[in-house]
Amino acid sequence: MSTVSADLVWEIVRNNNSYLVKRNTGGGVQFSRDPLNLTNKHSRKHAGFVNEKAIGVVANEKGGVKVVSKKNNHYSKPSATTETVFHGGKTARKTYKAVANQAAKSGYRPDLREAAVQRVSAIRKSQREPKPTPERKPRGNKAKKVVDEE
Amino acid sequence: MASRPTVTIIGKDGTPSGATHTMPSVFSAPIRPDIVQQVHTGMAKNKRQPYAVSEKAGHQTSAESWGTGRAVARIPRVSGGGTHRAGQAAFGNMCRSGRMFAPTKIWRKWHIKINQGQKRFATASALAASAVTPLLLARGHQVSAVPEVPLVIDSAIFENGAVAKTSAAFAVLNAAGAGVDVEKAKKSKKLRAGKGKMRGRRHRQRRGPLVIYDPVVDGRELVKGFRNLPGCETCDVYALNLLQLAPGGHLGRFIVWTSAAFKALDSIYGTTTKPSDLKKDFLLPSNVVSQADLGRLINSSEIQSVLNAPKGSALTKRAGVQKKNPLVNKQVMLRLNPYHSTFVKDKVGQQKAEPGKPKPTPASFLEVVHED
Repeated sequence: MSTVSADLVWEIVRNNNSYLVKRNTGGGVQFSRDPLNLTNKHSRKHAGFVNEKAIGVVANEKGGVKVVSKKNNHYSKPSATTETVFHGGKTARKTYKAVANQAAKSGYRPDLREAAVQRVSAIRKSQREPKPTPERKPRGNKAKKVVDEE
Repeated sequence: MASRPTVTIIGKDGTPSGATHTMPSVFSAPIRPDIVQQVHTGMAKNKRQPYAVSEKAGHQTSAESWGTGRAVARIPRVSGGGTHRAGQAAFGNMCRSGRMFAPTKIWRKWHIKINQGQKRFATASALAASAVTPLLLARGHQVSAVPEVPLVIDSAIFENGAVAKTSAAFAVLNAAGAGVDVEKAKKSKKLRAGKGKMRGRRHRQRRGPLVIYDPVVDGRELVKGFRNLPGCETCDVYALNLLQLAPGGHLGRFIVWTSAAFKALDSIYGTTTKPSDLKKDFLLPSNVVSQADLGRLINSSEIQSVLNAPKGSALTKRAGVQKKNPLVNKQVMLRLNPYHSTFVKDKVGQQKAEPGKPKPTPASFLEVVHED
């Protein structure tokens, strides 16, 4: 009764919702700001806030990633719908495996596993300190000047 | 439907009071964004005030056309002399100081009549949508801290004007996890772009929660408590307004119910078995499709039993696929040319022509050729 089907909700919100980002550039791309969306694409498969069960990966403030997931048995209880797991300080492979297991084994859509791992990888990469750019070698006239000074 | 779902009534400090209430039937009404949007567009027009340009604007001159033969356009021209205005074109919408095209009139059709049945349908639909968490999220409400949707707060908290002060009102919302939404509305206040600023619409901000109360039990003091909370609105359960239930025609307003108002819903809208007490000739609209979950429909035994078995095996030649280039794709080449494997193995393609001069043609052969 009060559990309205996800298919109906999607038809209501697909044209406009608070997470949707529409741009005229790029052939009218549509992205989603939904934290439960693994690819940030606006699509039925990835719209986590619509689907009964959903998993999301967000960056943790202190490094590592946070896995947010939604269970379908708490449909009308928003505060109980998300659980959070931290994966910080581990090696990349361990994190991937933990996230992949959660995405595929505990009854979420198994085809979201790859996207979940890719998102973890991208977040970890963004958290790494960028390599310092090497100093430029003098070339041409500048190089000659350096030699002359020495 | 085996048992009707119940809703927890939240007590003081946001903890469950222990009491529950069955979900009123209006929450099972069909969610129809098309009807809600149409009714909303009509209702939003019913608060407009007439405006028009002056009746005389652009016509306060005694201009006459000069006619043909003066090598100027035949538009009416201001008569007289001694001023720059004389001889200038007048009246036309293309003229400077002329009247506008189709001057606006105060007898424009400002208000829209909406059928009562449609209005009631839209209200029921908007109420049903307010109990669907994804729709609240899609409207942009911050409900992740809310214990349950619909959010029902015990009327005992509002008794004797206990929430007549804004600080008390905010404390009630905050305890129930709705403070985040108020905070969001408060932070969202922005200066409007454009001329609306000078026309009494200086700021624009998000809508927060809508508090629905029953004036008979809760009194009206709580209105004063909530009215200074940004984005927060209050509404009498007996006079629900679609403009508040679905602002902008978008379904899924975050509603905070007092328990008395929540209980009153069944008598206002009726149930599936009992007609409404207050609305004459009103029956709650029912869903055309009882099961809207496509996955369950497809996997139901009724559908699966009448489906044909999939044709072909796991390995089926697909028709209409892209044509492959046999010069690039070896398998396609072998299918077309069975000799190709030998050709490649013996390296026929790489063999050079025999060295040396070609053998001379035998004389006996030439004789035959040249014979008459």
